[in-house]
Amino acid sequence: MSRKLLHHGFRAFTALCALLACSILGWLIFAIARRGWPAISWQFFTEQIRLVGASGGIFYNLIGTGILLLTAFITSSPMALSLALLHGVYLREGRWKRALETLLYVINGMPSIVCGIFGLIVFVQFLGWGKSWLSGGFLLGIIMLPTVTVALMERIASLPVRYVEAATGLGLRQSQIIWSIILPQSLSGLVTGSLLGLARAAGEIAPIMFTATIFAGATIPHGVKESPVLSLPYHIFILAQDSFDPSVGAKVWGTALVMIGLVFVLSLIALPARLKMHEEAHHD
Amino acid sequence: MTDPILQVSHLTIEAGSRTLLRDISLVIAPHEVFTIIGASGSGKSTLLKSLNRLVDLTSSLKVSGQVSFRGSPIYAPGVDADALRARIGILFQQPVVFPGSIAQNVIFGVKHLGQTRKQDWPEIAERALREASLWDEVKDRLQQPAILLSVGQQQRLCLARALATQPEVILMDEPTSALDPKSTEAIEDLIVRLKVKHTLVLVTHNLRQAQRLADTLAFVGGRDGAGQVLAIGNPDDVLSNRDQPELAAFLVTD
Repeated sequence: MSRKLLHHGFRAFTALCALLACSILGWLIFAIARRGWPAISWQFFTEQIRLVGASGGIFYNLIGTGILLLTAFITSSPMALSLALLHGVYLREGRWKRALETLLYVINGMPSIVCGIFGLIVFVQFLGWGKSWLSGGFLLGIIMLPTVTVALMERIASLPVRYVEAATGLGLRQSQIIWSIILPQSLSGLVTGSLLGLARAAGEIAPIMFTATIFAGATIPHGVKESPVLSLPYHIFILAQDSFDPSVGAKVWGTALVMIGLVFVLSLIALPARLKMHEEAHHD
Repeated sequence: MTDPILQVSHLTIEAGSRTLLRDISLVIAPHEVFTIIGASGSGKSTLLKSLNRLVDLTSSLKVSGQVSFRGSPIYAPGVDADALRARIGILFQQPVVFPGSIAQNVIFGVKHLGQTRKQDWPEIAERALREASLWDEVKDRLQQPAILLSVGQQQRLCLARALATQPEVILMDEPTSALDPKSTEAIEDLIVRLKVKHTLVLVTHNLRQAQRLADTLAFVGGRDGAGQVLAIGNPDDVLSNRDQPELAAFLVTD
């Protein structure tokens, strides 16, 4: 009897915790949507910032965030693929494999402000790129690297060993096996990891405020060096400091709502690939 | 006597401190079905995989002794193991079809080995599927996913994939153990036909199959903690041999 009671008690407790977590998230989205919705209009997406954010839209902020995320994706993908292949194919179990895993966890746990300082020193100053979309995109690529790499590592580890054995039995070289079996089968891991990584990178402020983004005055970059962009998270960060002004406040919430929408869409796009991976892992 | 296509000389394979196979010596003639029988865990599959250096995939295995293919030692330094495997194909216990269509599976090896032109692939696929007695069953659905085939068909598809690269020797690791009687019969008929062009090394624990197909039969049994060839020769002679207690016990239990 007491075991049954304990069982039901534990179930009720976990359900309550889950409900609490969902409620907080729901409340957060509701609060942002309620305040932000009035700011959403066609002009909000198509006009550029005016009157220090009190008027106009977020057109170039969207473009800037898009450029930063695209750069981050392009820079992180080859690095993540190389690291995942190093981990899953070339390195044998042992010290080096564990060291690589530890390195990824360290990068993943690095405070974003430290990443920002790193980017400022290396990309902006040492490499001389200045405050530019390239510096920020590279830095965001490094920040999302662990998420993408770990997703790819898991995908490669879940590939059936018999595929590799069968391809080896046909006389294929290791590079041919990577090209014909491992890479095509890992693509879903790259897509999933990248979209989840981008969802995280989209909200980062500290790394890009030192390296890539300014509040106003930038449009579409025409160069590489010293070519900053506007961005959504930095826009929120600056406007939030003036949010006592009602017209600015509406714009903050509106921008926050757009950012939530962006992250939600990225996560949603990753969902089919994640489900496919999950299904295959259980099928194999 | 014709020169052997494969010759195993004093082959010993160890995994750490454990000896899996000890002092194996065999001679395999061209165009014969060389069959290996033995109890589970006696090292039959390891012996088979040592013939095309597929044991290299298991880093913990240490091979000593030698295997010669057409007179050339395959474990000598500098030997291209990948090129060797293209000449000595293998069929596994469970069919391994790759994600993709039937056509993609058949030409998988030839495509990636890059030895043929793209326009020749359809012809190669048809020839290999005919050779594996699968053409009539799949010719109208070559673009369908290979995974939709029955297990027996999948195994013949894997055989077609191996045949497409035109290997001289085909190693078969219990290729019918996962199949129904009808599919088993189809594979057995194929083995008889394939030996005209190829040399086949078959591992099986099906005595009826061994008796029906083998030109030479070898029994691998565990003695002193390691697999050893305890009897070899004509199938009737091996299967009537009662001098080796391990073989006698195997014949009784199987």
